Amino acid sequence: MLAVHNLALSVGGRTLIRSLSLEVAPGETVTLMGPSGAGKSSLLSFIGGDLGSAFTTAGIATLNGTLLNGLAPERRQVARLFQDDLLFPHMTVAENLLFAIPKMPQPERLGRMRAALAAAGLDGFEERPPHTLSGGQRARVALMRALLSEPRAILLDEPFGRLDQELRQSIRDYTFGQIAERRIPALLVSHDRSDVPPGGRIFIISNDGNVSHA
Amino acid sequence: MPRLLALPLSLLLIGQLVLALAFLVPDLLDANAFAALFAHPQFGGGLFLSLFTGISSTLISLLLACIIAARRPAPPAAEAGAMLAVPHLALALGVVFLIVPTGFIARLIATLVTGWTSPPQWIAAQDPYGLSLVAALVLKETPFLVWVMAHLLVRGDLREQLQGQSRVARALGHGPSSVWLRVVLPQILPRMVWPLIAVFAYGATVVDMALVTGPTQPPTLATVIWRDLNDADPAMAARGAAGTIILSAVVILLVAAAGILLHVGRPWIRRFYTRPRTPERNLIAWPGHAWSLWRLVYVMVSALLILQSFSGHWPFPRLLAHDFSLSAWQRIAANPAPLFTSLALALTAAGLSLAAAVAWFETLSARLDRLALAACAISLCLPALMVALGQYRLFLAAGITGTAAALFLAHVLPVSAYVFVMLHGPYRGFDQRWHAVSSGLGQPRSAFLARIKWPLLKAPLLAAAAVGFAVSMAQFVPAQLAAAGRYATLPMETVTLSSGGNRPFIAASALLLMLLPLATFLTASRLSRPRWSP
Repeated sequence: MLAVHNLALSVGGRTLIRSLSLEVAPGETVTLMGPSGAGKSSLLSFIGGDLGSAFTTAGIATLNGTLLNGLAPERRQVARLFQDDLLFPHMTVAENLLFAIPKMPQPERLGRMRAALAAAGLDGFEERPPHTLSGGQRARVALMRALLSEPRAILLDEPFGRLDQELRQSIRDYTFGQIAERRIPALLVSHDRSDVPPGGRIFIISNDGNVSHA
Repeated sequence: MPRLLALPLSLLLIGQLVLALAFLVPDLLDANAFAALFAHPQFGGGLFLSLFTGISSTLISLLLACIIAARRPAPPAAEAGAMLAVPHLALALGVVFLIVPTGFIARLIATLVTGWTSPPQWIAAQDPYGLSLVAALVLKETPFLVWVMAHLLVRGDLREQLQGQSRVARALGHGPSSVWLRVVLPQILPRMVWPLIAVFAYGATVVDMALVTGPTQPPTLATVIWRDLNDADPAMAARGAAGTIILSAVVILLVAAAGILLHVGRPWIRRFYTRPRTPERNLIAWPGHAWSLWRLVYVMVSALLILQSFSGHWPFPRLLAHDFSLSAWQRIAANPAPLFTSLALALTAAGLSLAAAVAWFETLSARLDRLALAACAISLCLPALMVALGQYRLFLAAGITGTAAALFLAHVLPVSAYVFVMLHGPYRGFDQRWHAVSSGLGQPRSAFLARIKWPLLKAPLLAAAAVGFAVSMAQFVPAQLAAAGRYATLPMETVTLSSGGNRPFIAASALLLMLLPLATFLTASRLSRPRWSP
């Protein structure tokens, strides 16, 4: 369970979010919508732990009962996906994935890496440099990399924005399927109603900092 | 016809470099000189010291530059740039004044802590292991590498990409130093190969700094060579030439070996990338304020040089001189020739190099840049001793040693190389659509250049000119050889003075050497401010 209680968020005297409370159940994907600059991505940064020092915040975020506030980003077990896939360009596909897999016997790490590639339909892509992959392939590797880090929550910041319409649908279904299957709570920021998973809840953050539930 | 405009750079940089290296061939074949060199009692120890100072100063500078650049906010590039403008020699002299037994640090300790009334017995400058030389090199090269990294990060959107990748890596459970070592550094380091080679070649073969703060028993091999090269006895000079070739060959071999080692070690390096995350041992947070140390040292060195240059009688434990005196500056005013020679050389070398580089870019296609860039890389990464010796042989053959022309040629080679390297990226990266817009509006090419292109490229043009000026001001070895005793430049004069004991005079000379490039740098950065900020 990912939860935010009474979050207020402002930057340079401007209130982005007045008061927000939400809970995301395991396997659920909650969507945040609203105009650009309304504070959707800042909310994800608050949960992820890399909000700039220019922001002032009140309120707390918890993950499975653990307080996230003040925890270093790498200790939160909160994975992030952005509009750009941000695969490390100097590492192969396999190295990108291994980078994310926690400590365990090496054969098991390799096994997980291969299983993830197979699950993503990318068998045999281990040694490929990221720039030789298509956009859809890169998106799947980025998702697999995030999932392999064994996150307890996942934050999606318009991850489908760069994909063309056809690809978008299949990557979307694939992502939500994985999230539901692994019972991970997920927060999605999107401008596109069609990104919202079927039956998914939507929060709308408006420019005046109010949050409404649609 | 317009292609002729590319001729100056072709001759001054490429032609001169090729000829200079060609004129080293007879030295290469002089077996007697090599035999004499290997029999030299200071050969082994000197070679060891040269390599030790070169390798350790490069590695320490790289490590510190990485730590400094990893901090956020990174130090302002302008500060590193200003430190870059300070000539090695001036910094080394300032450091010597800080650390010698009667130096400022000992005075501080005596006044604040121990109450010494006579100077301590430590050997801080010119220590037998070359540690003070390494320290001075590290103080000078770290800001250079920080500056290179800052420029690499600015180029394209590398900084943004790396920041995004770092956020992802943190979210994947890696701590800050793990992210820096596995994600950021592997992407920056391959782009820093040439600057690192230049730093190593400089540290292993530096002469002027080593004369001031290097060891003496034995001295570094570069210093041994330098004494030989300046010997009137042709056999000794030949031994010096052999030493130059051997030292350069060792430097080149070591660089090649490092390259091979990194290549062979790839599997281990790649295995390191994918090692599972471990609880963070925060390597970066610890010396986080390292950059403050640099600020402090450069400010202290400048302040100390100013104080020292005006000092009269200054007995030991006192923090300030007993009385102040203008005599050092009067002596400089009485013999202003070195100052004016250096100024004239720096202005003409930087100005002509800038014009030559622009003319090259405007008249030749980018495909030929590789030729000029190769010449730049060779002249900046080969030990300066070797290039300077080749130039000297060339000037001898042309019968122009000791003339103003030789002095100018000696300076313009490294200056044009630096100017070309600095301008290359911004000039070739200039968006071609501007020209389309301009000619679409009916403007001729001349108007496009004068009113659009050069104003838009004002900052890199001025920066390249300022660096060219500073590089010219820092030339000692090629200047001394080409001048053949008929001219004196400011660095030559400063080295000569530093072997004497007149500290105010040395300080005044070092201060001038430092202030001129610094003033040029500040003027350039002031002039290159945009009319308005976005």
